[in-house]
Amino acid sequence: MKLSMGPQHPVTSHFRFILDVDGDAVLNFEWDVGYTHRGIEKIAENRIYVQNIPVVERINSYCDSIGTTLGYVEVVEELMDIQIPDRAKYLRVIAAELNRIASHLYAVSLVGISAGFETMLMWTINDRELILDLLVKLSGQRITYTYPTIGGVRWDMPDGFKEEALERLGYLEKRLEDYYRMMAWNRTFQMRFKNVGILKSSDAVGLGIVGPNLRASGVKVDVRKDEPYEVYDRFDFEVPTGKNGDSFDRASMRLKEIEQSIVILRQALKDIPNGPIKCSPKGSKVPPTAPRGEAYSRVESARGEFGYYLVSDGKSKPYRLKISTPSFRNLPALPFLCRNIPLGDIPVIFITFDYIPLDVDR
Amino acid sequence: MSDKSVEHQVVEDVKANFPEDVLEIDVQRRGRVSISVKRNIIYDVSLFLRDKLGFDHIASVSGVDHIDEKEFEVIYHAWSIDKKILAALRTRIPRDNPVLKSLIDVWKGALYHERETWEMFGIKFEGHPNLSLFLLPEDWLGIPPLRKDFVLPKRPQE
Amino acid sequence: MLGLSFVELIELFIKVLIFPGTLFSLLFSIIVIWFERKFLARMHLRIGPLHVGPFNRLGLFQPIADFLKLVQKEIITPSKANNFLYRLMPMLAAFLSALSIAFIPYALDPSGGYWVIFYTPLSLLVILVILTAKPFIMVGAGWAANNKYCTIGALRAAFQLLAYEIPIVLSLVGIVIVARSFDLAKIVEAQSSVWLIILQPIGFIVILIGMMAELLRRPFDIPLAEQEVVFGWPTEYTGVQFALVMVSEYFDLCVTASLITILFLGGWSGPAIPLLHDISPMLSGIFWFLLKMAVITVIIIMGRGVFPRLRIDQLLESGWTILIPFAIIQILITLATAQWWLPLIGG
Repeated sequence: MKLSMGPQHPVTSHFRFILDVDGDAVLNFEWDVGYTHRGIEKIAENRIYVQNIPVVERINSYCDSIGTTLGYVEVVEELMDIQIPDRAKYLRVIAAELNRIASHLYAVSLVGISAGFETMLMWTINDRELILDLLVKLSGQRITYTYPTIGGVRWDMPDGFKEEALERLGYLEKRLEDYYRMMAWNRTFQMRFKNVGILKSSDAVGLGIVGPNLRASGVKVDVRKDEPYEVYDRFDFEVPTGKNGDSFDRASMRLKEIEQSIVILRQALKDIPNGPIKCSPKGSKVPPTAPRGEAYSRVESARGEFGYYLVSDGKSKPYRLKISTPSFRNLPALPFLCRNIPLGDIPVIFITFDYIPLDVDR
Repeated sequence: MSDKSVEHQVVEDVKANFPEDVLEIDVQRRGRVSISVKRNIIYDVSLFLRDKLGFDHIASVSGVDHIDEKEFEVIYHAWSIDKKILAALRTRIPRDNPVLKSLIDVWKGALYHERETWEMFGIKFEGHPNLSLFLLPEDWLGIPPLRKDFVLPKRPQE
Repeated sequence: MLGLSFVELIELFIKVLIFPGTLFSLLFSIIVIWFERKFLARMHLRIGPLHVGPFNRLGLFQPIADFLKLVQKEIITPSKANNFLYRLMPMLAAFLSALSIAFIPYALDPSGGYWVIFYTPLSLLVILVILTAKPFIMVGAGWAANNKYCTIGALRAAFQLLAYEIPIVLSLVGIVIVARSFDLAKIVEAQSSVWLIILQPIGFIVILIGMMAELLRRPFDIPLAEQEVVFGWPTEYTGVQFALVMVSEYFDLCVTASLITILFLGGWSGPAIPLLHDISPMLSGIFWFLLKMAVITVIIIMGRGVFPRLRIDQLLESGWTILIPFAIIQILITLATAQWWLPLIGG
């Protein structure tokens, strides 16, 4: 029986799965995406560089917009050869890590609900609000911050931000224990997530999986370590990896990464230097055009690696902006894993990969 | 450190194995290698990159429409987890006959990237199992939207 | 009429309309729905229903408002649905669920006999039969809606309910051995000195889990799994039909809680409450009954906040390989040890 799951379905968001179902077993899985396709790559060719920041932000607006805009800003800065002040770099890291925490909490909440575990959903969403509050203080927005800009960041830290952030991070660290217990001590949770959707490391690399999903399979790949952008090389943090690559590993990977984000944030908040937050207008001014050439920037967003490939023809608008998004790169995993599994595992595997339809469709 | 960086080592390896068909190869910056090849050997080069040099993690497949030169450029970005280098394997194909051998045998993850490139540029990938509309609406009839001759509809003027 | 005297007729009306009939079961449903929402909200660190009704921040009338909203809604029948079955099934579901209440004794009648709408010495069997009819309603409704999610949900429900009836029936065997009767009232009386939960703890756990599965409560709400099959067999129902399905679900909860109270917690037995006892000894019994019922209801509801949902194969496996063996073990223990404690309960 062909079962069309989505695009209006409690769990698939704006995706549609075309499933071959036999009784309660799924024989074949096929994607149908594109319900939120906006043609951002084409729109970007018709806007000047600065205008494109909020445009690309819409790729991944409701979860990890700092990671998204950061990649774009970096690729433009690389092409224009702009050096940004240290304080701006630190602020970018702080914003990106806060956003990563918020995004991962969101992901964990969805993990809970994928098996009908409402308590997990509510608790994590509740605590995500604390982080969003911090980001509101930093940027003025809850979801779409447009915080990094070409040549720096838009706003400086407000007074008292540091203390409040540290306090909330301390609270969150305590709560992480609870979340971890919710996963690891709950037998039913383990029954649903352990040994479900096992992605071996060789398969994960071959299929081009990125981000926490790849790390859950035991491959230690993190752009923050491999190719440190901003000031990530100045921080001392670990890249957590999983063992089995099953859904449980993917779910708990998010909690481990939140832990590391807290570690980074503590260091960043401690070390942040004083100084300007943008290239000063007098000194190195941000040019309106980028020189002819190309650049590829990689940024570790919450869902994985963002790749921005920018080709410039020397005019004020990008000639071509290719955006390689983490969810799009994770797409091949599901058809690979969802063969001959019970129907009940579909939401579990799907949610632990943390797809975002906006991200896939662009 | 040895006198040669890893990036230059990669460049030399590729040059030594494909002396004639590699058109242009250079190190753009730290961690970025650009390899421009003729379209007929792209499969062999990609296989060499994956098996011998360890570029096993496909990052993206992009098309670029060089409409003035009547050519498409297809770029495969592949990441090497060991070497920590991003290789851009690029080739140019004529605009009136946009056909290229599919590399999904080499990089399984390129499946959806190539399908997207097909629908956005109309570049046909030989050997790709399913070149059908993916992101665009099912009843899309216009020219592929990321070509430069596809002009965005203007906003109605007041 | 029916050969009843006037007083008996009045009594029957009170039983049917007020307690334990219509008014009580509806009130129970409303209160439980409200309590479930508020209770789960507190577990979730939320506030829950807030504005509707008296007492600030309680939202007491939220279920009533929801019900009124559902009643006002248009009834939509899918164009390809089997019209007759599709419309019949919600009514039948609510009817059958309500029917069980008629056979449950809630207290001792002061004028002799038991406070039950329809007394029969085979009440346990009758309730079991009604319980067995439930999968047919679900399969019928799921099939009639002509929706794939409904069909999958209905088949899951059929598997689950049929699989979990067996351990329930097996555990009931132990009780019937002790009470030597299928009469619920007799079972209560058999527990006058010691509750069966103490004598048959394994049976209690098996029945509690089995009943939760029968009720499709959280760890076992697989046929209704929102993330997988949208809402299972009642997916297509709207408006008042959906309200009927919901009501039937909470009637079932009422029946189940009553049943477990009777079977294991000694029903209405308990020390006399001074004030209530003065008015009528029956009220004291009802108080104890409702208290025990409430405890069971809370335990059943709590699953929703504590557990993720199981998968259908895990559920069936644990049903066949864990619950049934345990139920059988309970029977064997009961048989082997009956000679020692049967005198204890006056058997």
